[in-house]
Amino acid sequence: MLGYLAQRLGMMAVTLFAIVTLTFFLMHAVPGGPFVSERMLAPEIAAALNAKYGLDLPVWQQYLNYLGRIASFDLGPSFKYPGVSINSMIAAGLPTTLRTGLLAVICVVALGVPLGIVAALNRNRWPDTFVMFVATLGVAIPSYVIATVTLYLFALRLGWVPTFGLDDWRGYFLPVFALSGFWISFVARLTRSSLLETLQQDYMTTARAKGLRPGQVLFKHGLRNSLLPVVTVLGPVVANLVTGSFVIEQIFALPGIGRQFVLSITNRDYTAIMGITIFYAAILMVMILIVDLLYVWLDPRIKLTKATA
Amino acid sequence: MSETVLSVRDLSTSFFTPRGEVQAVRGVSFDVRPGEILGLVGESGSGKSITCMSVLRLLKAGGRIKSGTATFEGQDLLSLDEDALSDLRGNRIGVIFQDPMTALNPTITVGEQVIETILRHRRASRAEARARAIELFELVRIPSAATRLKSYPHEFSGGMRQRVMIAIALACDPQLLIADEPTTALDVTIQRQILALLKDLQQRLAMSVILITHDLGVIAETADRVLVLYGGLIMETAPVRDLFARPAHPYTLGLLGAVPDLRDDTHRRLTPIPGSPPDMAAPPPGCPFAPRCPHAMRQCLDALPPLFGTAHQSRCWLHHPEAPKVAGLNEVAA
Amino acid sequence: MTDIAPNAWEKLPPEATASAPPPPAPTFGQEARRRLWANKPAVISIVFIVALVLAAFIGPFFSPYTYYKQDLKLANIPPAFETYTVSDGAGETTRIFLNASNFNIYEVDGQGHVLGLLRGGRKDLIQKSQPFTFGDTEVTLDYSRLPARLLAADGSEIRPSGWSWNRTYLFGTDQLGRDILVRQLYGAQISLTVAFVATLVNFFIGVFYGGIAGYLGGKVDAVMMRIVEIISTIPLTLYVVLLMVVFDSGLLSIIVAIGSVFWVDMARIVRGQILSLKSQDYIAAARTMGASPARILTKHLLPNAIGPIIVTLTMLIPSAIFIESFMSFIGLGVTPPLASWGSLTSEAVETLRAYPHQLFFPAAAISLTMFAFNFLGDGLRDALDPRMR
Ligand SMILES: Nc1ncnc2c1ncn2[C@@H]1O[C@H](COP(=O)(O)OP(=O)(O)OP(=O)(O)O)[C@@H](O)[C@H]1O
Ligand code: SF4
Ligand SMILES: [Mg+2]
Repeated sequence: MLGYLAQRLGMMAVTLFAIVTLTFFLMHAVPGGPFVSERMLAPEIAAALNAKYGLDLPVWQQYLNYLGRIASFDLGPSFKYPGVSINSMIAAGLPTTLRTGLLAVICVVALGVPLGIVAALNRNRWPDTFVMFVATLGVAIPSYVIATVTLYLFALRLGWVPTFGLDDWRGYFLPVFALSGFWISFVARLTRSSLLETLQQDYMTTARAKGLRPGQVLFKHGLRNSLLPVVTVLGPVVANLVTGSFVIEQIFALPGIGRQFVLSITNRDYTAIMGITIFYAAILMVMILIVDLLYVWLDPRIKLTKATA
Repeated sequence: MSETVLSVRDLSTSFFTPRGEVQAVRGVSFDVRPGEILGLVGESGSGKSITCMSVLRLLKAGGRIKSGTATFEGQDLLSLDEDALSDLRGNRIGVIFQDPMTALNPTITVGEQVIETILRHRRASRAEARARAIELFELVRIPSAATRLKSYPHEFSGGMRQRVMIAIALACDPQLLIADEPTTALDVTIQRQILALLKDLQQRLAMSVILITHDLGVIAETADRVLVLYGGLIMETAPVRDLFARPAHPYTLGLLGAVPDLRDDTHRRLTPIPGSPPDMAAPPPGCPFAPRCPHAMRQCLDALPPLFGTAHQSRCWLHHPEAPKVAGLNEVAA
Repeated sequence: MTDIAPNAWEKLPPEATASAPPPPAPTFGQEARRRLWANKPAVISIVFIVALVLAAFIGPFFSPYTYYKQDLKLANIPPAFETYTVSDGAGETTRIFLNASNFNIYEVDGQGHVLGLLRGGRKDLIQKSQPFTFGDTEVTLDYSRLPARLLAADGSEIRPSGWSWNRTYLFGTDQLGRDILVRQLYGAQISLTVAFVATLVNFFIGVFYGGIAGYLGGKVDAVMMRIVEIISTIPLTLYVVLLMVVFDSGLLSIIVAIGSVFWVDMARIVRGQILSLKSQDYIAAARTMGASPARILTKHLLPNAIGPIIVTLTMLIPSAIFIESFMSFIGLGVTPPLASWGSLTSEAVETLRAYPHQLFFPAAAISLTMFAFNFLGDGLRDALDPRMR
């Protein structure tokens, strides 16, 4: 187990390094430089700024400097807002993004899994048809469409919830729904097909042949195994909730990291784009690691093969 | 009815598939007597497994029992309510499946899979159930039983897993054990061990056993009586000696090959018979074996033959008094 | 047993007993096609997609409008409106409609063609009213209270005489007075082009990469799959965003950005297929007969792996559509005046309060298209690989 963890952490370090490198050189491939859009900047001011931010150094030196700063968890200063560090930008947006994201993950698990179970247990009867229809809607309609349509209906027309912000607790409804809609549907479909497959397994017949009660058969033998694939998608779920938050925070004017990111893109604030990308990547990899560890814990077959490998 | 443990009458089971109704079992009747091993043989798809799974109502999706009764300890299993039936499953009737690789839940320890069965049917504490599980593991000869309880199925070999399955099946001292091809998925040497174990346990525990197999050698060695199934029908049933000494049905004869020799020690697999089994979605009106039978007559295509004989029964028109004479096949020896 | 006719005991010749040979089993292709045609949602989806492609690529030729032509006088006209009939006292009547959100009055004809914006008198900014004259008749637009009303000279409210579809701009116009229908069709063109081309690019990269890894096997395979593993833990949408920042928005950049990033699944599937096929006998046979690796790959392996590949491709198209629209929505996709479903949606969001109907068309278009591709993907999966169901 410890060996596995060490191996995973090593992989993570490699991946993060690759991401930092890729991001750094991508951002340096942008024609001109970070200050290019500021046309009014006098040459001497630009030179002074370049010197201040170390942009006059050769690229490889800038890269090493950047790596060094990243290693000490410093994402550097913003080029657009003098005196503001990327770290503080992220710190300001994190609580909002975290709260909505967490609520969305909870919704995905708490709604997606039970819906999938209901559908599978009623295969080809109306609850199944209904859930699968709604789930197909859910995977087909893009989150920003859900967001804008529900915003119009429930906030503008009906006035049940505020149109923007999270000051009112009702403000959470629409963003969380728009964020999680796709993944609720996705998880419902996955749970259904996985449970249907598990129900066909020989060991389910064994469980019934042992005389176990239907509840025991379903919950102890069926669900646990059929939820394994669902656990594996939780990593990607978190990843996509993050990217989904760009638009959702934009549409509902939530002061989160996603909106900050989109703002940085519009402002061409390159250090902010870089810093937030790297921050996202790191968060995601931690999430995926957690999910994988959860998986190892849930599926005893993994432990042995991975630990010996 | 004290001389039968299980009495199945006129059992018919179908699968309802997109292709139509697949008549897997078509009116099967048989008895299992106390302390006997009843062998079920037949080619793949002949309905052996479905017959047994119907008795326990363990059919997979789409399967439905259309008619029949299965009397066990005075109750009809086919009309019993689900609760009462589940009290019997794993308790009075144990089951072993063909593939020990898939029949055990991969994410639960083998110990727990035995213990949960005991706890379901016996008033016992966890510790008592655990002690009983160790006892069972010793009974089925799993070495270092106490430590192996904590293992997962993938940490066991196939033979060991099948021993676990047997331990589960025997957990509550069943009256009847249904073993569906318990050795087919195993190596030859392991097969022998498992069969010897089963036979030994059957005698020690005085159980009745229904043994499904492809292997006529296994039948010859272990069974007391034999049912030969084909196309969802009983083709021939006889005490094991009679069947091997005087097979009455052309299908059985085909299975046995030209010269059956009981003393031959090598395991005799079913000899392939030319042709293929009938399509159970559209079974022929006459004898299902007719397309492959060397003795087929016009009558065979028109009508399904009844079972002729009493203790030794055979479903073939050749046993009809008016039928033409074919050496050795007209008499159903009692 | 006496009812059996004596001739019933005649032995049958062997050929009489043999049941008629079963009809030849349908080939895999036929079977798959039959299953696909039997799947109603999938068939409807195919029809929808074909219709959409035709409309997107041919439709604009039949329109008098272009996606870039602006006419600010005719901005934000709805696809349907309530008409008022005003007579000028000399027997002539004028049909008009009132755009309740920008307080403009337009003249329309009896069929619902928009004839033009009517110029009124001076706006009274205090009273919030504006006079309009039709010959002798004066009509006052009163927007002091919402919704705005039209008042006759005597101060009584004029009632609408009926309603009519907009025959000039079937879907209405946007905030710059561009025809929404034509922009919608151009948007579909862009979204579909980006999706198809990006999917193709992904397909080639994925097949190439996965094919090489699977075919060569061993160490090369291990290293290549490690790389795939690393790539798949990177949040790819972020990278599309970064690439778009570097390339600057535009049609080509978005195709390259999407096309270069989402091939990992395809590579995995192709590799898996090839590994499983490699172990089969006929490949070994072909190899011993001296077929070249390229020939084995194209002649033997790919045709067999085609089922899962097609399914993955069909599933990739809606994701590409989605990512493109997502990028355009946050302003990183195609540049104005070009339109795609994403940019159309984001433009509609700007005017959501006043003209919610403008949101309807792009939202419905992308949702229906995603629907169709999802149903088609499900249908193809069920048809090509019944086990995956
Ligand atoms: N789930 C199912 N759906 C449809 N038909 C089925 C199903 N299970 C079994 N059948 C049909 O029922 C018939 C009998 O099957 P059964 O499993 O009893 O055969 P068997 O004699 O046990 O064969 P084997 O030796 O292969 O185990 C077969 O012809 C099969 O086609
Ligand atoms: S009934 Fe006829 S076809 Fe059937 S086994 Fe007997 S002889 Fe052969
Ligand atoms: Mg069977």
